[in-house]
Amino acid sequence: MRRIEVSGLSAWFGRKQVLHEVGLVAEPRAVTAIIGPSGCGKSTLIRCINRMHEEVRGARVEGKVLFDGTDIYAPDADPVDIRRRIGMVFQRANPFPTMSILENAVAGLRLGARFPRAELEGRAEQALRAAGLWEEVKDQLSEPGGKLSGGQQQRLCIARALAVEPEVLLMDEPASALDPASTLRIEELIQELKEDFTLIIVTHNMQQAARVSDSTLFMLYGEVVEFGPTEEMFTRPADKRTEDYVTGRFG
Amino acid sequence: MSETRRGFHEELERVELEILGLGDLAERAVGRAVDALVTGDADLATAVVAGDDEIDERYLQIEQRILRLFALQTPVASDLRLLSAMLHIDPHLERIGDQAVNIAKTYLAVHDLPTSPIVVSHIQEMAGIARSMIRTALEALRRRDRHACLRLPEMDDPVDRLNLGMYQEVALLAPDPDRLRWGLRMLLVARQLERVGDNAVDIGEQVWFLLTGEFREFTDASHPVIIGPDTD
Repeated sequence: MRRIEVSGLSAWFGRKQVLHEVGLVAEPRAVTAIIGPSGCGKSTLIRCINRMHEEVRGARVEGKVLFDGTDIYAPDADPVDIRRRIGMVFQRANPFPTMSILENAVAGLRLGARFPRAELEGRAEQALRAAGLWEEVKDQLSEPGGKLSGGQQQRLCIARALAVEPEVLLMDEPASALDPASTLRIEELIQELKEDFTLIIVTHNMQQAARVSDSTLFMLYGEVVEFGPTEEMFTRPADKRTEDYVTGRFG
Repeated sequence: MSETRRGFHEELERVELEILGLGDLAERAVGRAVDALVTGDADLATAVVAGDDEIDERYLQIEQRILRLFALQTPVASDLRLLSAMLHIDPHLERIGDQAVNIAKTYLAVHDLPTSPIVVSHIQEMAGIARSMIRTALEALRRRDRHACLRLPEMDDPVDRLNLGMYQEVALLAPDPDRLRWGLRMLLVARQLERVGDNAVDIGEQVWFLLTGEFREFTDASHPVIIGPDTD
Protein backbone atom coordinates (compact mmCIF):
# COMPACT_ATOMS: atom_id res chain seq x y z
CA MET A 1 0.00 0.00 0.00
CA ARG A 2 2.60 2.59 1.11
CA ARG A 3 -0.04 5.19 1.86
CA ILE A 4 0.80 8.14 4.08
CA GLU A 5 -2.04 9.71 6.01
CA VAL A 6 -1.39 12.75 8.15
CA SER A 7 -4.11 14.13 10.39
CA GLY A 8 -4.30 16.80 13.06
CA LEU A 9 -0.55 17.25 12.91
CA SER A 10 0.90 20.13 14.93
CA ALA A 11 4.57 20.82 15.46
CA TRP A 12 6.64 23.14 17.59
CA PHE A 13 10.18 24.43 17.84
CA GLY A 14 10.38 25.12 21.55
CA ARG A 15 7.30 27.26 22.30
CA LYS A 16 6.83 28.37 18.73
CA GLN A 17 4.12 26.43 16.95
CA VAL A 18 4.99 25.97 13.26
CA LEU A 19 2.32 23.51 12.13
CA HIS A 20 -1.36 23.77 13.01
CA GLU A 21 -3.54 20.66 12.68
CA VAL A 22 -2.23 19.73 9.26
CA GLY A 23 -3.85 16.95 7.23
CA LEU A 24 -2.59 15.22 4.10
CA VAL A 25 -3.01 11.94 2.24
CA ALA A 26 -0.18 10.83 -0.04
CA GLU A 27 -1.26 7.98 -2.27
CA PRO A 28 1.10 5.25 -3.47
CA ARG A 29 2.39 5.50 -7.05
CA ALA A 30 1.69 9.21 -7.02
CA VAL A 31 3.60 12.40 -6.41
CA THR A 32 2.28 14.75 -3.76
CA ALA A 33 3.72 18.26 -3.87
CA ILE A 34 3.79 20.66 -0.95
CA ILE A 35 4.00 24.31 -1.93
CA GLY A 36 3.92 27.56 -0.01
CA PRO A 37 6.06 30.59 0.75
CA SER A 38 9.28 30.37 2.75
CA GLY A 39 8.63 29.69 6.40
CA CYS A 40 5.14 28.25 5.87
CA GLY A 41 6.12 24.94 7.45
CA LYS A 42 6.42 22.73 4.41
CA SER A 43 9.88 21.37 5.26
CA THR A 44 8.83 20.82 8.86
CA LEU A 45 5.81 18.89 7.61
CA ILE A 46 7.83 16.38 5.59
CA ARG A 47 10.39 16.10 8.37
CA CYS A 48 7.52 15.04 10.63
CA ILE A 49 6.61 12.31 8.14
CA ASN A 50 9.80 10.35 8.85
CA ARG A 51 10.34 11.51 12.42
CA MET A 52 13.27 13.77 11.63
CA HIS A 53 11.65 16.84 13.14
CA GLU A 54 12.17 15.46 16.66
CA GLU A 55 15.93 15.36 16.07
CA VAL A 56 15.99 19.13 16.52
CA ARG A 57 16.48 20.16 20.12
CA GLY A 58 13.23 21.36 21.69
CA ALA A 59 11.12 20.18 18.77
CA ARG A 60 7.79 18.52 19.44
CA VAL A 61 5.00 16.89 17.43
CA GLU A 62 1.33 16.12 18.09
CA GLY A 63 -1.16 14.40 15.85
CA LYS A 64 -1.06 11.36 13.65
CA VAL A 65 1.08 10.17 10.77
CA LEU A 66 -0.18 6.83 9.56
CA PHE A 67 1.99 4.72 7.28
CA ASP A 68 -0.16 1.95 5.86
CA GLY A 69 -2.48 2.51 8.76
CA THR A 70 0.19 2.25 11.46
CA ASP A 71 1.03 5.31 13.53
CA ILE A 72 4.72 6.13 13.13
CA TYR A 73 4.56 8.02 16.42
CA ALA A 74 3.24 5.01 18.36
CA PRO A 75 5.36 4.31 21.49
CA ASP A 76 6.70 1.07 20.04
CA ALA A 77 7.62 2.56 16.65
CA ASP A 78 11.34 2.52 15.85
CA PRO A 79 12.47 5.87 14.35
CA VAL A 80 15.48 4.27 12.65
CA ASP A 81 13.31 1.69 10.91
CA ILE A 82 10.81 4.39 9.96
CA ARG A 83 13.56 6.51 8.40
CA ARG A 84 14.76 3.50 6.42
CA ARG A 85 11.29 2.86 5.08
CA ILE A 86 10.55 6.55 4.53
CA GLY A 87 13.70 8.01 2.97
CA MET A 88 14.60 11.62 2.42
CA VAL A 89 16.53 13.61 -0.18
CA PHE A 90 17.60 17.12 0.75
CA GLN A 91 17.88 20.44 -1.07
CA ARG A 92 21.66 20.44 -1.24
CA ALA A 93 23.29 17.34 -2.61
CA ASN A 94 25.34 16.03 0.27
CA PRO A 95 27.38 13.03 -0.86
CA PHE A 96 30.34 12.08 1.31
CA PRO A 97 32.91 13.95 -0.76
CA THR A 98 35.91 11.69 -0.31
CA MET A 99 33.97 8.44 -0.39
CA SER A 100 33.83 6.73 -3.79
CA ILE A 101 30.70 6.86 -5.88
CA LEU A 102 30.03 3.20 -5.13
CA GLU A 103 30.56 3.62 -1.40
CA ASN A 104 28.33 6.68 -1.39
CA ALA A 105 25.54 4.76 -3.06
CA VAL A 106 25.55 2.05 -0.40
CA ALA A 107 26.56 4.19 2.58
CA GLY A 108 23.14 3.73 4.17
CA LEU A 109 23.31 -0.04 3.87
CA ARG A 110 26.70 -0.27 5.54
CA LEU A 111 25.44 1.62 8.56
CA GLY A 112 23.02 -1.13 9.45
CA ALA A 113 24.78 -4.38 8.67
CA ARG A 114 27.70 -6.05 6.95
CA PHE A 115 27.24 -7.16 3.39
CA PRO A 116 29.55 -9.18 1.13
CA ARG A 117 31.34 -6.97 -1.41
CA ALA A 118 29.55 -8.57 -4.35
CA GLU A 119 26.15 -7.86 -2.85
CA LEU A 120 27.09 -4.26 -2.08
CA GLU A 121 28.15 -3.80 -5.69
CA GLY A 122 24.93 -5.31 -6.90
CA ARG A 123 22.83 -3.08 -4.64
CA ALA A 124 24.87 -0.03 -5.67
CA GLU A 125 24.29 -0.76 -9.36
CA GLN A 126 20.59 -1.29 -8.73
CA ALA A 127 20.29 2.01 -6.83
CA LEU A 128 22.38 3.95 -9.32
CA ARG A 129 20.27 2.58 -12.17
CA ALA A 130 17.07 3.54 -10.36
CA ALA A 131 18.46 7.02 -9.86
CA GLY A 132 19.28 7.27 -13.56
CA LEU A 133 22.99 7.67 -12.90
CA TRP A 134 24.45 4.25 -13.70
CA GLU A 135 25.30 4.86 -17.35
CA GLU A 136 27.14 8.07 -16.48
CA VAL A 137 29.24 6.68 -13.65
CA LYS A 138 29.65 2.94 -14.25
CA ASP A 139 33.25 3.36 -15.42
CA GLN A 140 34.31 5.58 -12.53
CA LEU A 141 32.73 3.92 -9.51
CA SER A 142 35.88 4.26 -7.45
CA GLU A 143 36.17 8.01 -8.09
CA PRO A 144 35.16 10.31 -5.21
CA GLY A 145 31.50 11.34 -5.16
CA GLY A 146 32.56 14.96 -4.76
CA LYS A 147 33.92 14.97 -8.33
CA LEU A 148 30.48 14.64 -9.90
CA SER A 149 28.47 17.62 -11.17
CA GLY A 150 25.77 19.13 -8.93
CA GLY A 151 22.97 17.30 -10.76
CA GLN A 152 24.86 14.02 -10.64
CA GLN A 153 25.59 14.48 -6.95
CA GLN A 154 21.90 14.95 -6.27
CA ARG A 155 21.09 11.78 -8.18
CA LEU A 156 23.84 10.03 -6.22
CA CYS A 157 22.06 11.11 -3.04
CA ILE A 158 18.81 9.78 -4.47
CA ALA A 159 20.61 6.49 -5.21
CA ARG A 160 21.87 6.46 -1.62
CA ALA A 161 18.33 6.95 -0.37
CA LEU A 162 17.04 4.21 -2.69
CA ALA A 163 19.75 1.67 -1.79
CA VAL A 164 18.19 0.98 1.61
CA GLU A 165 14.99 0.08 -0.26
CA PRO A 166 12.57 2.60 1.20
CA GLU A 167 8.87 2.54 0.39
CA VAL A 168 8.30 6.27 0.54
CA LEU A 169 10.66 8.99 -0.65
CA LEU A 170 10.46 12.50 0.76
CA MET A 171 12.21 15.19 -1.25
CA ASP A 172 12.90 18.61 0.20
CA GLU A 173 13.55 21.06 -2.66
CA PRO A 174 15.51 18.37 -4.54
CA ALA A 175 16.28 20.54 -7.57
CA SER A 176 16.43 24.05 -6.20
CA ALA A 177 20.25 24.19 -6.30
CA LEU A 178 20.49 22.73 -9.82
CA ASP A 179 20.70 24.19 -13.32
CA PRO A 180 17.68 23.77 -15.66
CA ALA A 181 19.02 20.67 -17.44
CA SER A 182 19.81 18.88 -14.17
CA THR A 183 16.44 20.00 -12.81
CA LEU A 184 14.70 18.44 -15.80
CA ARG A 185 16.65 15.23 -15.24
CA ILE A 186 15.51 15.12 -11.60
CA GLU A 187 11.92 15.80 -12.65
CA GLU A 188 12.07 12.93 -15.15
CA LEU A 189 13.51 10.75 -12.44
CA ILE A 190 10.63 11.66 -10.12
CA GLN A 191 8.22 10.47 -12.80
CA GLU A 192 10.10 7.17 -13.11
CA LEU A 193 10.34 6.67 -9.34
CA LYS A 194 6.65 7.21 -8.86
CA GLU A 195 6.03 3.80 -10.47
CA ASP A 196 7.56 2.17 -7.39
CA PHE A 197 7.37 4.66 -4.54
CA THR A 198 5.09 7.04 -2.74
CA LEU A 199 6.69 10.41 -3.37
CA ILE A 200 6.23 13.62 -1.44
CA ILE A 201 8.12 16.64 -2.71
CA VAL A 202 8.50 20.04 -1.14
CA THR A 203 9.15 22.78 -3.64
CA HIS A 204 8.74 26.49 -3.93
CA ASN A 205 9.01 26.20 -7.67
CA MET A 206 5.32 26.11 -8.50
CA GLN A 207 5.86 25.14 -12.11
CA GLN A 208 7.82 22.18 -10.87
CA ALA A 209 4.92 21.17 -8.65
CA ALA A 210 2.62 21.57 -11.65
CA ARG A 211 4.87 19.47 -13.88
CA VAL A 212 5.65 16.55 -11.60
CA SER A 213 2.86 16.09 -9.08
CA ASP A 214 -0.54 14.46 -9.03
CA SER A 215 -1.78 16.21 -5.90
CA THR A 216 -0.73 19.52 -4.43
CA LEU A 217 -1.02 20.84 -0.92
CA PHE A 218 -0.76 24.58 -0.42
CA MET A 219 0.34 25.80 3.02
CA LEU A 220 0.35 29.22 4.58
CA TYR A 221 1.50 30.11 8.12
CA GLY A 222 1.71 26.45 9.13
CA GLU A 223 -1.83 25.64 7.99
CA VAL A 224 -3.22 23.79 5.00
CA VAL A 225 -5.09 26.21 2.79
CA GLU A 226 -6.00 23.79 0.03
CA PHE A 227 -5.20 20.22 -0.94
CA GLY A 228 -6.37 18.65 -4.17
CA PRO A 229 -5.54 17.40 -7.66
CA THR A 230 -2.65 19.44 -9.07
CA GLU A 231 -4.55 20.25 -12.25
CA GLU A 232 -7.38 21.80 -10.24
CA MET A 233 -4.97 23.79 -8.08
CA PHE A 234 -3.35 25.37 -11.11
CA THR A 235 -6.42 25.91 -13.27
CA ARG A 236 -9.25 26.62 -10.86
CA PRO A 237 -8.17 26.71 -7.23
CA ALA A 238 -11.06 26.79 -4.77
CA ASP A 239 -9.49 29.14 -2.22
CA LYS A 240 -8.77 32.79 -2.96
CA ARG A 241 -5.45 32.55 -1.08
CA THR A 242 -4.32 29.68 -3.32
CA GLU A 243 -5.37 31.70 -6.36
CA ASP A 244 -3.37 34.70 -5.13
CA TYR A 245 -0.32 32.60 -4.37
CA VAL A 246 -0.14 30.59 -7.60
CA THR A 247 -0.80 33.63 -9.75
CA GLY A 248 1.87 35.63 -7.91
CA ARG A 249 -0.54 38.16 -6.38
CA PHE A 250 0.46 37.07 -2.89
CA GLY A 251 2.72 39.23 -0.73
CA MET B 1 3.84 41.10 -5.22
CA SER B 2 7.08 41.18 -7.26
CA GLU B 3 7.64 43.82 -9.93
CA THR B 4 7.80 41.12 -12.62
CA ARG B 5 4.46 39.69 -11.59
CA ARG B 6 2.90 43.15 -11.30
CA GLY B 7 4.14 43.88 -14.82
CA PHE B 8 2.53 40.66 -16.00
CA HIS B 9 -0.83 41.50 -14.46
CA GLU B 10 -0.73 45.01 -15.91
CA GLU B 11 -0.01 43.59 -19.35
CA LEU B 12 -2.87 41.13 -18.86
CA GLU B 13 -5.21 44.06 -18.19
CA ARG B 14 -3.91 45.94 -21.22
CA VAL B 15 -4.45 42.94 -23.48
CA GLU B 16 -7.99 42.61 -22.16
CA LEU B 17 -8.63 46.28 -23.00
CA GLU B 18 -7.27 45.60 -26.49
CA ILE B 19 -9.70 42.69 -26.86
CA LEU B 20 -12.59 44.89 -25.77
CA GLY B 21 -11.42 47.59 -28.20
CA LEU B 22 -11.21 45.08 -31.03
CA GLY B 23 -14.71 43.91 -30.15
CA ASP B 24 -16.04 47.47 -30.39
CA LEU B 25 -14.34 47.88 -33.75
CA ALA B 26 -15.79 44.64 -35.12
CA GLU B 27 -19.26 45.49 -33.82
CA ARG B 28 -19.11 48.92 -35.47
CA ALA B 29 -17.95 47.33 -38.74
CA VAL B 30 -21.06 45.14 -38.79
CA GLY B 31 -23.21 48.20 -38.06
CA ARG B 32 -21.59 50.24 -40.81
CA ALA B 33 -21.84 47.42 -43.36
CA VAL B 34 -25.56 47.01 -42.70
CA ASP B 35 -26.08 50.80 -42.69
CA ALA B 36 -24.41 50.98 -46.11
CA LEU B 37 -26.79 48.30 -47.38
CA VAL B 38 -29.89 49.91 -45.87
CA THR B 39 -29.08 53.45 -46.99
CA GLY B 40 -27.50 52.51 -50.31
CA ASP B 41 -24.16 54.05 -49.43
CA ALA B 42 -21.49 52.41 -51.58
CA ASP B 43 -18.73 54.65 -50.19
CA LEU B 44 -19.49 53.51 -46.66
CA ALA B 45 -19.44 49.86 -47.78
CA THR B 46 -16.05 50.44 -49.44
CA ALA B 47 -14.77 52.03 -46.20
CA VAL B 48 -15.87 48.94 -44.25
CA VAL B 49 -13.86 46.71 -46.60
CA ALA B 50 -10.81 48.97 -46.26
CA GLY B 51 -11.17 49.12 -42.49
CA ASP B 52 -10.72 45.37 -42.11
CA ASP B 53 -6.94 45.71 -42.34
CA GLU B 54 -6.93 47.47 -38.99
CA ILE B 55 -9.04 44.71 -37.42
CA ASP B 56 -6.71 42.04 -38.82
CA GLU B 57 -3.65 43.87 -37.60
CA ARG B 58 -5.01 44.34 -34.10
CA TYR B 59 -6.11 40.70 -34.00
CA LEU B 60 -2.56 39.56 -34.84
CA GLN B 61 -0.98 41.93 -32.32
CA ILE B 62 -3.25 40.65 -29.56
CA GLU B 63 -2.43 37.06 -30.47
CA GLN B 64 1.29 37.81 -30.33
CA ARG B 65 0.97 39.48 -26.94
CA ILE B 66 -1.02 36.55 -25.55
CA LEU B 67 1.50 34.00 -26.85
CA ARG B 68 4.30 36.06 -25.36
CA LEU B 69 2.64 35.99 -21.95
CA PHE B 70 2.12 32.23 -22.22
CA ALA B 71 5.78 31.76 -23.11
CA LEU B 72 7.30 34.11 -20.56
CA GLN B 73 4.96 34.15 -17.58
CA THR B 74 3.67 30.58 -17.21
CA PRO B 75 0.20 31.78 -16.26
CA VAL B 76 -1.93 29.65 -13.92
CA ALA B 77 -5.42 29.67 -12.39
CA SER B 78 -7.55 32.70 -13.34
CA ASP B 79 -4.64 34.23 -15.29
CA LEU B 80 -4.42 31.05 -17.34
CA ARG B 81 -8.17 30.98 -17.92
CA LEU B 82 -8.23 34.66 -18.92
CA LEU B 83 -5.37 34.23 -21.40
CA SER B 84 -6.88 31.05 -22.83
CA ALA B 85 -10.29 32.71 -23.14
CA MET B 86 -8.80 35.76 -24.85
CA LEU B 87 -6.76 33.60 -27.22
CA HIS B 88 -10.07 32.03 -28.33
CA ILE B 89 -12.10 35.26 -28.32
CA ASP B 90 -9.56 37.12 -30.47
CA PRO B 91 -10.18 35.11 -33.70
CA HIS B 92 -13.95 35.23 -33.13
CA LEU B 93 -13.73 39.03 -33.24
CA GLU B 94 -11.55 38.89 -36.33
CA ARG B 95 -14.16 36.63 -37.96
CA ILE B 96 -16.90 39.13 -37.09
CA GLY B 97 -14.82 41.75 -38.89
CA ASP B 98 -14.62 39.44 -41.91
CA GLN B 99 -18.37 38.94 -41.80
CA ALA B 100 -18.85 42.71 -41.89
CA VAL B 101 -16.60 42.79 -44.96
CA ASN B 102 -18.60 39.98 -46.59
CA ILE B 103 -21.81 41.93 -46.00
CA ALA B 104 -20.27 45.10 -47.48
CA LYS B 105 -18.90 43.27 -50.52
CA THR B 106 -22.16 41.42 -51.10
CA TYR B 107 -24.02 44.70 -51.04
CA LEU B 108 -21.50 46.31 -53.45
CA ALA B 109 -21.97 43.43 -55.89
CA VAL B 110 -25.73 44.15 -56.21
CA HIS B 111 -26.08 47.77 -55.17
CA ASP B 112 -27.47 48.80 -58.57
CA LEU B 113 -30.30 46.25 -58.44
CA PRO B 114 -33.84 46.89 -57.15
CA THR B 115 -34.41 45.93 -53.51
CA SER B 116 -37.24 44.75 -51.27
CA PRO B 117 -38.16 46.83 -48.19
CA ILE B 118 -39.39 43.76 -46.30
CA VAL B 119 -36.12 41.89 -46.84
CA VAL B 120 -34.15 45.00 -45.87
CA SER B 121 -36.15 45.33 -42.65
CA HIS B 122 -35.47 41.65 -41.88
CA ILE B 123 -31.77 42.30 -42.30
CA GLN B 124 -31.95 45.40 -40.13
CA GLU B 125 -33.68 43.45 -37.41
CA MET B 126 -31.16 40.62 -37.58
CA ALA B 127 -28.28 43.08 -37.54
CA GLY B 128 -29.74 44.86 -34.49
CA ILE B 129 -29.87 41.63 -32.51
CA ALA B 130 -26.48 40.37 -33.74
CA ARG B 131 -24.80 43.64 -32.76
CA SER B 132 -26.50 43.61 -29.40
CA MET B 133 -25.18 40.06 -28.92
CA ILE B 134 -21.61 41.22 -29.58
CA ARG B 135 -22.06 44.01 -27.04
CA THR B 136 -23.52 41.57 -24.52
CA ALA B 137 -20.59 39.18 -24.99
CA LEU B 138 -18.11 42.02 -24.50
CA GLU B 139 -19.99 43.24 -21.42
CA ALA B 140 -19.95 39.70 -20.04
CA LEU B 141 -16.15 39.81 -20.28
CA ARG B 142 -15.79 43.36 -19.01
CA ARG B 143 -18.03 42.79 -15.98
CA ARG B 144 -17.22 39.11 -15.42
CA ASP B 145 -20.97 38.50 -15.74
CA ARG B 146 -22.18 34.90 -15.92
CA HIS B 147 -25.79 35.90 -16.46
CA ALA B 148 -24.86 37.86 -19.55
CA CYS B 149 -23.15 34.74 -20.91
CA LEU B 150 -26.34 32.75 -20.46
CA ARG B 151 -28.47 35.39 -22.22
CA LEU B 152 -26.51 34.95 -25.44
CA PRO B 153 -27.97 31.63 -26.64
CA GLU B 154 -31.46 33.01 -25.93
CA MET B 155 -30.69 36.10 -27.99
CA ASP B 156 -29.43 33.90 -30.79
CA ASP B 157 -32.77 32.14 -31.31
CA PRO B 158 -34.56 35.04 -33.08
CA VAL B 159 -31.51 35.57 -35.31
CA ASP B 160 -31.74 31.96 -36.43
CA ARG B 161 -35.50 32.27 -36.97
CA LEU B 162 -35.16 35.47 -38.98
CA ASN B 163 -32.45 33.85 -41.08
CA LEU B 164 -34.81 30.97 -41.92
CA GLY B 165 -37.67 33.41 -42.61
CA MET B 166 -35.52 35.16 -45.20
CA TYR B 167 -35.91 32.22 -47.58
CA GLN B 168 -39.66 32.71 -47.77
CA GLU B 169 -39.31 36.45 -48.31
CA VAL B 170 -36.75 36.01 -51.06
CA ALA B 171 -38.86 33.32 -52.74
CA LEU B 172 -41.63 35.91 -53.10
CA LEU B 173 -39.27 37.99 -55.25
CA ALA B 174 -39.22 35.30 -57.95
CA PRO B 175 -41.49 37.16 -60.44
CA ASP B 176 -38.89 39.95 -60.76
CA PRO B 177 -35.56 38.45 -61.90
CA ASP B 178 -33.45 41.49 -60.89
CA ARG B 179 -35.03 41.66 -57.43
CA LEU B 180 -34.56 37.92 -57.12
CA ARG B 181 -30.83 38.27 -57.96
CA TRP B 182 -30.57 40.94 -55.29
CA GLY B 183 -32.62 38.83 -52.86
CA LEU B 184 -30.42 35.77 -53.30
CA ARG B 185 -27.42 37.88 -52.28
CA MET B 186 -29.36 39.06 -49.25
CA LEU B 187 -29.63 35.43 -48.15
CA LEU B 188 -25.84 35.48 -47.98
CA VAL B 189 -25.98 38.67 -45.92
CA ALA B 190 -28.48 37.06 -43.52
CA ARG B 191 -26.22 34.04 -43.25
CA GLN B 192 -23.30 36.32 -42.29
CA LEU B 193 -25.39 37.99 -39.59
CA GLU B 194 -26.41 34.60 -38.26
CA ARG B 195 -22.71 33.70 -38.07
CA VAL B 196 -22.02 36.97 -36.18
CA GLY B 197 -24.56 35.79 -33.59
CA ASP B 198 -22.86 32.39 -33.39
CA ASN B 199 -19.51 34.05 -32.81
CA ALA B 200 -21.01 36.11 -29.98
CA VAL B 201 -22.34 32.91 -28.36
CA ASP B 202 -18.90 31.33 -28.69
CA ILE B 203 -17.35 34.36 -26.98
CA GLY B 204 -19.90 33.93 -24.19
CA GLU B 205 -18.77 30.30 -23.80
CA GLN B 206 -15.19 31.48 -23.38
CA VAL B 207 -16.21 34.03 -20.76
CA TRP B 208 -18.14 31.28 -18.99
CA PHE B 209 -14.94 29.21 -18.96
CA LEU B 210 -13.02 32.16 -17.58
CA LEU B 211 -15.52 32.58 -14.75
CA THR B 212 -16.21 28.96 -13.87
CA GLY B 213 -13.25 26.93 -15.13
CA GLU B 214 -15.63 24.67 -17.00
CA PHE B 215 -16.15 24.58 -20.72
CA ARG B 216 -19.66 24.04 -21.97
CA GLU B 217 -21.15 24.51 -25.38
CA PHE B 218 -24.26 26.63 -24.98
CA THR B 219 -25.61 25.39 -28.29
CA ASP B 220 -24.45 23.03 -30.97
CA ALA B 221 -25.94 21.46 -34.04
CA SER B 222 -26.55 18.02 -32.55
CA HIS B 223 -27.81 19.23 -29.14
CA PRO B 224 -29.84 22.38 -29.72
CA VAL B 225 -29.81 23.73 -26.16
CA ILE B 226 -27.50 22.45 -23.44
CA ILE B 227 -27.99 25.07 -20.79
CA GLY B 228 -30.85 24.65 -18.36
CA PRO B 229 -32.21 25.83 -15.03
CA ASP B 230 -29.22 24.41 -13.17
CA THR B 231 -26.79 26.68 -14.90
CA ASP B 232 -26.09 29.10 -12.13
